[in-house]
Amino acid sequence: MANTALPRKMAAANGARRAAAFSEWSDRHFKWLLVAPAVILILALSIYPLIFSLVVSFINYDFQIPGHAFVGLKNFRQVVFDPVARWSIVLTAMLAAANVTIEFLLGLILALLMVKHFRGRGLFISIFIIPLFISPVIVGQAWALLLQRPFGPTNYILSQLLGYDVKISWLTESPWLYFAIIAADVWQWTPFMFVILLAGLTAIPQNLYEAAELDGVGGWRAFWAITVPHLAPMMLLAITLRLLDTTKLFDTIFIMTGGGPGTKTYTASFYLYTVGFAQFHISMATAGSWIFLVLTLIVVTFLVRRLLKAEQTA
Amino acid sequence: MNSRQRRDFEAGLAADVDAWLRGKPTRREFIKKFGQLTGMLAIGGGILPAFTQHLLAQAATDLADPSTPLGQAQALAVKASTEGPTDGSAYRATQAAKQYSGITINMTYEVGLQALDPRNFSGPLWEQLTGIKSNVVELTNPDQYSKPVAEHIAGSGAYDVLDVSPGWTPSLADGGVIAPLDDYIAKYMNTADLEDYHPLYRALPTYKGKVWGFFDDGDMFALYYRKDIFEDAKLKEAYQAKFSKALEVPKTWEDYAQVAQFITDQMAPNVYGAGHFRKAGNPGNQFDFLQQFRANNGEFFNNEMKAQLASDAGVKTLQNMIAANAASIPGNNELDAVSLWVAWLQGKVAMIYSWPPTGRMTAGYSQSDKAINFVPQSTIADKVGYAVVPGNPEHAAGYNKALAADSSNPDAAFLFMQWATSPPVSLARVMLPYALRDPYRLSHFKSELYGQLFPTAKEYLRNLNNSANVGVLDMIMPGAQDYGLSLDRMCTAVWAGADPKSSLETAAAEWDATTERLGVDSQRAFYQEFLKLPGATAANTVEKLGMAVKLD
Amino acid sequence: MSAAVTRQLRRRHRPTGIGRFLILGLFVLFVLAPLYWMFITSIKPSDDYLAVPPVWFPEKPTLIHYTVSLFAYRGLKGLINSLIISLAATFLSALFGSLMAYSLARFNTGGKHLSFWVLSQRFLPPVAIVLPVFLIYRYVKLHDTHIGLIIAYTVFTLPVSVWMMYAYFRQLPRSMEDAALVDGCTRWQALWRVALPLAAPGIVAAAVFAFIACWTEFFFALVLTSRDSFTLPTVFRAFIGFQGALYGEASALAIVSLAPSIALGILVQRHLVRGLTLGALRG
Repeated sequence: MANTALPRKMAAANGARRAAAFSEWSDRHFKWLLVAPAVILILALSIYPLIFSLVVSFINYDFQIPGHAFVGLKNFRQVVFDPVARWSIVLTAMLAAANVTIEFLLGLILALLMVKHFRGRGLFISIFIIPLFISPVIVGQAWALLLQRPFGPTNYILSQLLGYDVKISWLTESPWLYFAIIAADVWQWTPFMFVILLAGLTAIPQNLYEAAELDGVGGWRAFWAITVPHLAPMMLLAITLRLLDTTKLFDTIFIMTGGGPGTKTYTASFYLYTVGFAQFHISMATAGSWIFLVLTLIVVTFLVRRLLKAEQTA
Repeated sequence: MNSRQRRDFEAGLAADVDAWLRGKPTRREFIKKFGQLTGMLAIGGGILPAFTQHLLAQAATDLADPSTPLGQAQALAVKASTEGPTDGSAYRATQAAKQYSGITINMTYEVGLQALDPRNFSGPLWEQLTGIKSNVVELTNPDQYSKPVAEHIAGSGAYDVLDVSPGWTPSLADGGVIAPLDDYIAKYMNTADLEDYHPLYRALPTYKGKVWGFFDDGDMFALYYRKDIFEDAKLKEAYQAKFSKALEVPKTWEDYAQVAQFITDQMAPNVYGAGHFRKAGNPGNQFDFLQQFRANNGEFFNNEMKAQLASDAGVKTLQNMIAANAASIPGNNELDAVSLWVAWLQGKVAMIYSWPPTGRMTAGYSQSDKAINFVPQSTIADKVGYAVVPGNPEHAAGYNKALAADSSNPDAAFLFMQWATSPPVSLARVMLPYALRDPYRLSHFKSELYGQLFPTAKEYLRNLNNSANVGVLDMIMPGAQDYGLSLDRMCTAVWAGADPKSSLETAAAEWDATTERLGVDSQRAFYQEFLKLPGATAANTVEKLGMAVKLD
Repeated sequence: MSAAVTRQLRRRHRPTGIGRFLILGLFVLFVLAPLYWMFITSIKPSDDYLAVPPVWFPEKPTLIHYTVSLFAYRGLKGLINSLIISLAATFLSALFGSLMAYSLARFNTGGKHLSFWVLSQRFLPPVAIVLPVFLIYRYVKLHDTHIGLIIAYTVFTLPVSVWMMYAYFRQLPRSMEDAALVDGCTRWQALWRVALPLAAPGIVAAAVFAFIACWTEFFFALVLTSRDSFTLPTVFRAFIGFQGALYGEASALAIVSLAPSIALGILVQRHLVRGLTLGALRG
């Protein structure tokens, strides 16, 4: 330590004045300097493209139609009057609701079962969190492998268990294909809920429960009186984060059903991808994504404001 | 770092984290070790790519044993490039390209198997002959369209030679992504080689009176069936008794569904009558609909350019396809082309129609290369029969080699295209066991060497040629992808139980919307252009036009 | 609470119900089944694909799918690219995220709006910004480079890093920093010597999440790379090709891609759970 400190002191003495001035300046703007790198990066790679895409959505930017003329609301009109677009929004909302609900309940049950220490708990946690580390593209393929006729073993196993010949086309038959898509999403993201909720549960002071027990309050009543209020911020956090992501559901759809059969599994993101990158109607896709953006903003603004409030009062 | 050190190291990392959590700041230690870990990975990351590249880069061209038919074809390709005939396209391309020695041309190729040819064979051989390096950019099929478009929009000049589906030509040409070849052809090429294409494929790259590429992949659907099943005495008898006619390889789509259902009834679960690739987002649905719709004399558009899908032909087509699906292997509607091949090669289905690699896999020739391990060994090599698909087979996709308009070395790029598609070189390429490029030149169909690749190779080639004689083409006009997407959605919706008629109406409405967006008048002009091509409809196939090629 | 009491509590609440283990066991099965089947597919010769009953473990396991997907195709390079890009982006994201979060938490910089604005970046549909980003990258020559993707992933993961760390810093008492300032430290020193080390568990947790996001990201990689800096998910996608899926190759590459992330997960597993508690944890 001593032999490195000496040269440093000398160097400091040499440029003392400049350093002092700089240090004063940097201390004065300290809080803004800290946020600068992140804000600049986000502005450059997120806000600027967004503005650009807003411009694009009012002009013709379609590879098959030459020129970039201003077309007013034509691109938006094309999206709004496309029945596939409307369906994709509905489906996205329904899948988001189903996915997040199931993941939340399952994650909560698992977290409740795991909150107390027991032998092998670490191993269980290790296994449970594995899906979080896997690309959704791969998750989609893993489930497709499991379900796809005639390769997948699912129907065989079900036939053995149920005692009759199960012939379900999991990836092309309604309503089963929705189960397949939800299963893949639940598989991947329940651990996320679980991890956050478990952390929340662990943080609830045990003596609250002991006190309740002494008062003769246990079981469900303790759950509603102690667990739920204490866990509420964590629940809101987990649900918000998952909702943000599940509205973007794309990769598993892309692999498992390709949007089919028909347009039954077109989510908003898959629809926009198809319009933008399979059909190359770029301006129509960006107009569509602005509509989508505004819709999600409404939902998320509400949720995030609640979340920030909960955070600040907690 | 050996394994014990690594273990200690990692254990240390965890301990440091623990120490933190216990409130003992050992930040310096942690940062040092975290830095070491990151640095180690970064250095490893630097060394490994070089190592990989070394592994992947073939020092020399991957040539086959010269005593084999493939080896002989390769030797002939080399000879044609170095010794001539001096007026041949291969020789002239090689000589003219030598002045560009040292540059690199970037070529797009479909990812995976398709790319093995330029990486292992044609790329290295071209470098050996001319000193021009090649960089193979592997893209998925949809990206082979979207990436060049995106690069063109960005004006990057990232690619020189593009592999594109013929149906994309109008879009790419009008969009300025690809350049016409006429001047280069006049300058460098022996135009006699153009006459060597099968008539169906000759006109394909032509658009607005100019040539926009070289056709390079004869993706003709053909029917492959199990001879042993169709010749089974008991089955024949039962079929005769049931339908009062002989059990034969089907010539109509009604027969096809009936025969498939019969075989399924008789032989399931060991063998099913047929199988199809019907998975959504895969191209099987639209290709199959296009071929059967036209075999049923369906027309795409009327004079007002209104889509004519919701016609009797359309309904009949979907009904036949539904009947065929019902007669097929379980999971039919979820299969893609590869999984269908698996089922076929394992003897689970009696008939399939698919792309030409089917024949080479069935014969077991493709599997002689280890890259073809995604399909099993063939259990039916000696049982396969070849036939033309009922009515008119689809030429499904295919590839043109096209010249990127933004190429900084257009001459060198063109010369590679000319060389690779010249008769001797293209023969050696379509004969590679791992090739997904299928025979398309008359000299391929007639090739003695190709005929020796497997016992029934000559029959196989003759059937591909005959299929091309009556084959129909994918739509070649702007919006082709939009029209195709509508068909795929329509078909998969119907497979899932939607009403055929109303689904056809939905698809027709989508077609009309696409046509309107692109301009009714200009689309009409394009459609008229398309109708002039041999194979645009069942009424003007190569055979109907009197240009059929007969092989003995 | 003393350690002895905790131990006593734990003993008292030792699980007794068989139901608990049944549920947990079922979920373990649910988690492992797709992975097991994918693993089996990766070592199964293609001759076994269609067997009835299904082949649960191949008689003749093969590594051919691994060698082919890694060496004949571009798997190995994709793996290395993924490692480099994910690690670098994770580092930047955790660093910049922590700095910003510190500023937000301690000085309320920009008020509520700034923190809300950052979080709102999290749910931009990628499809809306990816084409403009592509055009910008072309212009500044970042297209198909490692740096380009690293920057994109840094931005992409920043909102979560910032937000997680924001909550974490708010939960840390500022008394130690104040003490450091009284001792004559500058603000930078107080941050670097006191606040950041104390926040280390939070930083690790944030970094792990950033890493997961980068490691599994698909859409940006698809559009922003072509021949040099492609990542593992895009190579994987290539096996789900035009004519069909190469099941063995796809599965083999998937299994390979799990290895680094699972190793990382196990390394920080306990801290992942604790680090995630953010501001809701009250000592």
